Amino acid sequence: MSETATRSIGLVLVSAFAFLIGWLYVRQPHTLAQVTGGLSAVVGTYSVDERAFADARRFFKNDQFVEARMAFDRADPAVRDARTQFYIAYSYYRQGWGRLSHDDRLYTEGLAAIDRAIALAPGGRLVVDDPALGMHTAEELKAELEAGLRVDASDFNPARVFTSRK
Amino acid sequence: MTAAREAIALPILFLLVLLAGGVHIGAADPLVPPSPYVLVLGALIVRVAIQSGALAPEQLLASTRSTLANLNGAVVLATMWLASAQTIAVLIPDSGVPRLAFSVFFLMLLLHTAAAAPDRQRLLRSLAVTFGSAFVIKFVVLDTLSTPGDSGFRRALLALFDNVTAGALIQAPQHPLNAYLALLVVALFLMGVFLLPFREPLERYSSLNAAAGLIRKP
Repeated sequence: MSETATRSIGLVLVSAFAFLIGWLYVRQPHTLAQVTGGLSAVVGTYSVDERAFADARRFFKNDQFVEARMAFDRADPAVRDARTQFYIAYSYYRQGWGRLSHDDRLYTEGLAAIDRAIALAPGGRLVVDDPALGMHTAEELKAELEAGLRVDASDFNPARVFTSRK
Repeated sequence: MTAAREAIALPILFLLVLLAGGVHIGAADPLVPPSPYVLVLGALIVRVAIQSGALAPEQLLASTRSTLANLNGAVVLATMWLASAQTIAVLIPDSGVPRLAFSVFFLMLLLHTAAAAPDRQRLLRSLAVTFGSAFVIKFVVLDTLSTPGDSGFRRALLALFDNVTAGALIQAPQHPLNAYLALLVVALFLMGVFLLPFREPLERYSSLNAAAGLIRKP
């Protein structure tokens, strides 16, 4: 191999490796699945496990939220799918919702998940057409979670016991 | 130095150091980039390496070389700088007085080394001893002091020690694999420095003496 070819190959290899390191520093993956899934998403070959996703939705409809999240995590191990993250956020909302008070810890987790979903959605716009849901956009869900975490005068309104979970 | 070593082996080796050194297994942030302070210390290591002849920059960047070769040389210098910074970052404890002490210690040591102007062999030996000692203090001494232990007595002793030192010495417990990773980082970095294009001692002294006007060219 000529010296020029060796030097050119070296430059390409080093650039690719440097790009990978930069990408890892930005993404901060916690698992190997997140690394491989993230790289697949970069080259456009990442897809969610539809079977696990269907299982998760079934659990979700039965109000088995912990099981649903486990299945959603299995469906989207790399945390790269906006729709799955939307459902995870929704599961935190429904599990944390209460007629008298909401579970702040679950709502905080839900807020983190909906932020991930918005970040992953193209242009930040996410609409989920599921008739079983009361809210179909990421903005509605985020606003609901934020309102649940906020303490204001409406929290002391006795009429809130008549509100229903979306 | 061969083109393969300059264009592929050395940059990949130094980038491996940068990547492996940033990995913090079990931490909230699994990858930590080198801080601005260690980047300054990294620049000092590059400077000392050039001064000692362990790195001959004229063999990496020169007007007589092609653009592509100069680009490869610049990549070697840049990756070496980042790897130096990351190696120091790996060896500095994470918190408290040990972190401050190590940060100041590395700065003083590098300034002292620059003033002492060692040759390549002495610099390599000095780096190996310094990094080895820092590794032992961080991953053996401080880690042992900070390990909670299984028995109640050991935990009580640790709590007492933590109170006596006002929490200044105890480090957060870390994953056991981090020590192995740190050892790998130090070893790879030293190997990289060893493989750098260097100046022959005679050539170095001749150039130094010529610069000082001690040798007259015929």
